[in-house]
Parts: sequence; structure tokens; C-alpha cells
Amino acid sequence: MNNPGQVESKKEKGKGMKKSLVVALLLFTFAFASACRYDMQDQPRLKPYKQSDFFADGKGMRDLPEGTVARGQLREDKVFYTGKRPDADPNVQIETTTDPSGNTLVSSFPNDIDYIPMPVTKEVLDRGEQRYKIFCIVCHGPVGNGDGMVVRRGYPQPPTYHDDRLRNAPVGHFFDVMTNGWGRMNSYASQIPPADRWAIVAYIRALQASQNPQGFGSEDGARQTASNANTNSEAQNTNGPAANTAGNGGANQ
Amino acid sequence: MAQLFHRGANHVAKASMVAVVVLGGLVFFAYTQIARSSYLTNRYLERPQPVQFSHKHHVGDDGIDCRYCHTSVETAASAGMPPTQTCMNCHNQLWADSPYLEPVQSSFRENTPILWERVHDLPEFAYFNHSIHVAKGVGCSTCHGQIDNMPAVYQENTLQMEWCLSCHRNPEAFIRPRSEIYNMDWKDGNLTAEQRTELGKEYKLRSRELLTSCSTCHR
Repeated sequence: MNNPGQVESKKEKGKGMKKSLVVALLLFTFAFASACRYDMQDQPRLKPYKQSDFFADGKGMRDLPEGTVARGQLREDKVFYTGKRPDADPNVQIETTTDPSGNTLVSSFPNDIDYIPMPVTKEVLDRGEQRYKIFCIVCHGPVGNGDGMVVRRGYPQPPTYHDDRLRNAPVGHFFDVMTNGWGRMNSYASQIPPADRWAIVAYIRALQASQNPQGFGSEDGARQTASNANTNSEAQNTNGPAANTAGNGGANQ
Repeated sequence: MAQLFHRGANHVAKASMVAVVVLGGLVFFAYTQIARSSYLTNRYLERPQPVQFSHKHHVGDDGIDCRYCHTSVETAASAGMPPTQTCMNCHNQLWADSPYLEPVQSSFRENTPILWERVHDLPEFAYFNHSIHVAKGVGCSTCHGQIDNMPAVYQENTLQMEWCLSCHRNPEAFIRPRSEIYNMDWKDGNLTAEQRTELGKEYKLRSRELLTSCSTCHR
């Protein structure tokens, strides 16, 4: 009688040990499972803008080494990406004047092309309007008078688009200013891709037409403006008249 | 042998069956509420940032478009945080000497990034892409709330899976015209349900099965 009892109690003891082992195993597993959860929430890979201890500057996103050219980013078409004529002379002296609010104004445009180097369609103009209202309107205002919200908050007023100087300025000038900045205006190259910059140029021409309908509305007026623009750049531009018509035609749409 | 249980035990047994269900339900309800609470989801939590940047001022008062700073929202997964140079487009002149802007100035001077505190932190097993949502008519304020009223940005929604699915199951309830994506004042009621259904067809929204498929977000 005693022996079986002893055996039984031994068995029970063994069962108890097994149970505690199972519980320990389960606890162990759950402890790791909860750790897994956080590992998966914040994985060791880097998402955009995440900090990294690996690099000395702490940035997870790496800057491209100087001179890197991504596929399709060679930018062979210099005219399209700079707004300058192929035979542009980097050492040419640009004439400037200063207006009462302290802006340095360009008054000669020897290097800038005076046609938009892509077809200007209704879609391009709409795109230009949309982009203008994102990036330019803050200072230059809804019609380009230079009375944007940031100017009303105290930023020095930029020159208006609606004077003879900028009406006659070749379109390459506007592109160049967006790309490289001018005066107090920073470069917008990192915010606006080149094709959008040209679309904005087209829209600026449309704004100029809207504020000066006599100059653009009649065919005579358009021709007159075109010839004005040509006198500025005729000496340097061999295909000036044809190209200029293209530029103005785009703005007139 | 004496009775182990007295007569009343029958009632206790019956009551306990009900009690288990009721108590279990209560515990489960409490769990769901705690899991959805801002305590666990960080909803409505305003985080201290290195610069006291106010979206209320820049968006609400100045009317600057979202895309002026978040330039890649239409083309990439990340909406894009502006480089310090974007701040300097205006603040090279405005409030240029203000001590509030010193972190921005020093970031620009020393070419070191500003260490912003991430507000919307999706778990990294969830794939999210801004550009597709914007292209299919989901406006900024649908997920981010009225940013133009937030001096300090907080998370407007739980960012939990049930919240994602509430739209993926029925996107037509939330979409708007592409021209109104960046309009902070847009209300879903501005269009009728029929108009939104039409819009969904125009956007060629994918089927419910695809939009709620696991691998759409967990890839």
C-alpha cells in the first residue's frame, strides 16, 4: 500500500516540476515576444529623416557625393536646365540699377534665352499657375505686384513684374532667378524642378499679359512687345524673332 | 456522506455564469478603450520641438501652401521635411535676429540639421506612401486634422490599423476633388455621397479586396 502511494507522490512531484518548467518556458517566450513587438515597431533600418549613430554627422539620409549623376539626371540640355544661351559668356558684365526699396535690378540680359525650351500648352500654363500659387505668391503676390503675404509681414518688397523692364526681359532671366536666386531671393532649385520652373515662367508671362492687355491683346501690341524684347537680345540671338514668338505665344494662351 | 454544496450553490453557479460573461465583456471593453486611448496612441500629444514653429501662423495666418515646405508630398512616400534653407527664404529678413529663431540660424550657419521630434510615428511594419493618397483624393486634413489651427502639431488620429481600415474599406466616404487636397477647411459634407462615389470612379480607386489586402500596407 505504501509503495504505490510513494510512487504516486513521486509522479506528482515530477508533474509539478514539469508544470513550472512549462510556465518558465512560456514566460521566457512571452518576454521575448514583447521584445519582438518593439523591435518591429522600430526596426534597425533607417526611414527618411531618421537619426543614425553610424555616421559622424548623425544623418541617416546621406548627401550625394559631389558630382553624382543619377540615371536620367545628366542634364545634357544646358539651355533647358540653365535658361542661358548655348554660347553664354559667364564673364559678361550685366548692367544693374538699384530701385528705391534697395533691390538690385538687372537691366541687361545678354546670356538669357528668350523662348521657353518646351511646348507651352494649356496644361503647362495650369501647372505654372498652380506652382506659382505655391511658391511665388508668398512674396510676389497673386498677380505679381510684389505684395504677397510675406511682404505684408515686413519682407522687403520685390520688384513688380509689370514694368517695361521685366515685360521685355527674356524668359531665361526668370528661369535663372528661380534657379540661382537674385538679390534677397534664395534659389528655389531644390523646391521646384526645372520643368515646373519653365511652367511658372510661362504663367508669369500670362500674368504680364493680364495686367497689360493693350501690350499683348492686339496683334500689333504683341508684335511691338516682341520686337522690344528682340532689340534687347538681337545682337546675341540668331533665331530671336521665331523663338520669341513662341515664347509670347505661350504666354498668350 | 454530507452534502458538499448547500442548496444556494445552484443559484451561485447560475449567477457566476452570467457574471463571467458580463465581467469578461467589461474587461474586454476596458481593454479596447485603453488600447485606443491617447495614453497609448499618443493622440493629441503636443511634443516639444527645438524651434517653436507654428503651423497656425505659417499656414493659417500667412496662407503658405503645404507644398511650399513639404515639396515631395506629391511624388514620394515621405512628404518631405524642409531643409533649413527653406526657412531662410523668408527668415533671412524676417525675425532674422530673434532669439526664437536661433536654432534655425545656427543650423543654417553650421550646416547641421534641426532635430525635430517626429509627431506621426507609424510602426515600421506598416508601409505608407503620401503621394498615392494625395493622388487619389485624400486631403491633408483628412488624416492630419486642421493643421492651420495647430500652434504645435499633434497627432489628430490614432494611426491604428482600425483607423486605416475605416477608410480603406470605404474610401468614397473621405475623398475630395484634387483641387481641394490642400484646403484645410474642406468638409466631407461639401460633396454628396453620390458625387463622392462618382469621384471614386474617376480616380479609379482599387477594389475593397485590394485596398484591404494585407500586403497593401504590410509589404
